[in-house]
Amino acid sequence: MLIEIKDLKKNYLLGDVEIPVIHGINLNIEKNEYVAIMGPSGSGKSTLMNILGCLDTVSSGNYYFNEMDVSTLDDDALSIMRNKEIGFIFQNFNLLPRLNAIQNVELPLVYAGTPGAERKEKALRALNRVGLSDRVNHKPAELSGGQRQRVAIARALVTNPGILLADEPTGALDSKTGVEIMRLFEELHTEGNTIILITHEQEIANYAHRNIYLKDGMIHSDKINSDKTIIF
Amino acid sequence: MQYGENVRLALQGLTDHKFRSFLTMLGIIFGVASVITMLSIGEGAKREAIAKYQDLGVNNIIIREKTLSDEELEEVRAKFSQGLSIQDAQVISEIVPGVERIASQAEKNTDVKYNDKSIKSTIVGITPDFQSMMNYKVQKGYFINDKHYNERLKVCVLGAGVAAGFFKGEDPIGKLVKIDDQWLEVVGVLESKSLFTETVGELAARDLNTDVFVPLSLFLNRFTRENVLSSEIQQITVQLKNSDKLVEASKIINEILRRHHFNNDDYSIVIPYELLKQEEKERQIYNFLLGAIAAISLLVGGIGIMNIMLATVMERTREIGIRRSVGARKIDIMSQFVTESVVISITGGIIGVLTGIVLSLIVTLFTDINTFIKPYSVFLAFSFSVIVGVSFGYLPAKNAANLKPVDSIRYE
Repeated sequence: MLIEIKDLKKNYLLGDVEIPVIHGINLNIEKNEYVAIMGPSGSGKSTLMNILGCLDTVSSGNYYFNEMDVSTLDDDALSIMRNKEIGFIFQNFNLLPRLNAIQNVELPLVYAGTPGAERKEKALRALNRVGLSDRVNHKPAELSGGQRQRVAIARALVTNPGILLADEPTGALDSKTGVEIMRLFEELHTEGNTIILITHEQEIANYAHRNIYLKDGMIHSDKINSDKTIIF
Repeated sequence: MQYGENVRLALQGLTDHKFRSFLTMLGIIFGVASVITMLSIGEGAKREAIAKYQDLGVNNIIIREKTLSDEELEEVRAKFSQGLSIQDAQVISEIVPGVERIASQAEKNTDVKYNDKSIKSTIVGITPDFQSMMNYKVQKGYFINDKHYNERLKVCVLGAGVAAGFFKGEDPIGKLVKIDDQWLEVVGVLESKSLFTETVGELAARDLNTDVFVPLSLFLNRFTRENVLSSEIQQITVQLKNSDKLVEASKIINEILRRHHFNNDDYSIVIPYELLKQEEKERQIYNFLLGAIAAISLLVGGIGIMNIMLATVMERTREIGIRRSVGARKIDIMSQFVTESVVISITGGIIGVLTGIVLSLIVTLFTDINTFIKPYSVFLAFSFSVIVGVSFGYLPAKNAANLKPVDSIRYE
């Protein structure tokens, strides 16, 4: 079991009032699964993603990653988790505008303490993997939306993490580019990566192999996607 | 996160926003420049003072005849004082402990003539010890020696100014100059002395380069005194073995002379080293004030950095979130921002040091204030700017590190 979540609850403090966002979720994800987590806004899917990505902590319950209890880790250990095990892909790419493509991709390796030459080599390989070897020295502003998202995917891949966490990865892209990105995800999945996709679009969720539907902070449905979209 | 990476990042940040960085640094630049300039002015004044007193000898006590009007002189003589005499010197050297050497000197203001030229000069009768006691350096020939003194030879050593006035392109050694009705052979020329521009006690400011030195034995024997009532000699210089007994020795000297001069107050005692110490003390207060002003400007510079850094952290919340999401720990973010403020302050510090050096040079060139930049003051100003960078960068950096990753990554 790669991810095991037991009775997870998350409350937010709004003034003096605790607002429950996630009401107790149990969830298991195996290695090399391709999961889409769906739900309307306010369903708690973003919160769940933050917790899965070690950006946020739980209020109660347990989160095991590779049999390790993440919910007890301190801030530094969570940072190391994000660095080694999580590859984030965001809707708005979240690239650093002042750095060029390769520098952006190198960023996780910088924090991992990887020496410069090795860093460059790994980053180039990751950029090559997403088909951007000819855009290495371009800054994000000089790249198209699809290319930017590819840089972000290369950055997520570069540390060879346990999971790729994609939050509405096609949300800011036109549909044609979106399909290209989804094809890339499919390939990455075939290569053995575990992918968790957060989306509110059924169309995007259809690319995944398993669909989890959240509603009001609880799992409403969790089923294998039988009529999966195949990209030709 | 490697340290070099932080520095590279910070430098890139600097060059990306050149004008803003410059404005941020301005406070540090002014602060450091003013520290350097003020310290260099203080140091210049100190060196000037030391040079001045070194001419008088730091182990010396100088006993000088007081300048008295004719009436006062008559009154003193009527009260039995003969003024300073060789005998006084003799007694001092016998009684005062720790005396290394003692030199008597007689003076007379008169004209020196060579061919048809004439220069107003002070003729100084001295003993051979005088040269080493007063740090006089010979430029040509040699100084008056024991043989000259013992045999009362008619020789003289010219101050640089006199030699320059008489002998243009001519070798002065061996030439005869006339003082009063005496012909003296020039045996040496002194190196130029800095102008003695400040009166120290009874030592009136004058141009030492117009002095002409002759053996004291000759002087007393061959030259008439300026005035019938004039003392035998005008100055006794007592050199002690070391400088820590100067005050005690001067008290003993004072008592001896009091008795020998029948309680007449016709001499004064100057201790150059004590005057130097006193002057130093006065200057210290002054330097402290200057330093405080400079320190305040550095402080203001530091606050300027903090202000900009706080704004920068706000502006870069998203960047911090991104860095955190790919694995930056709090300490990484912290050190990134501290490094940035240190790089700003160090760069400002370097520019400030250069500005300070230029300012000091300008001060020296365009005013008569001496400046001297000690490596120590550069080091001090520079380390101050680093300290300012670290301490004023700390709070903004801490704010940056404490941003919650989940909030900052979604910050718009």
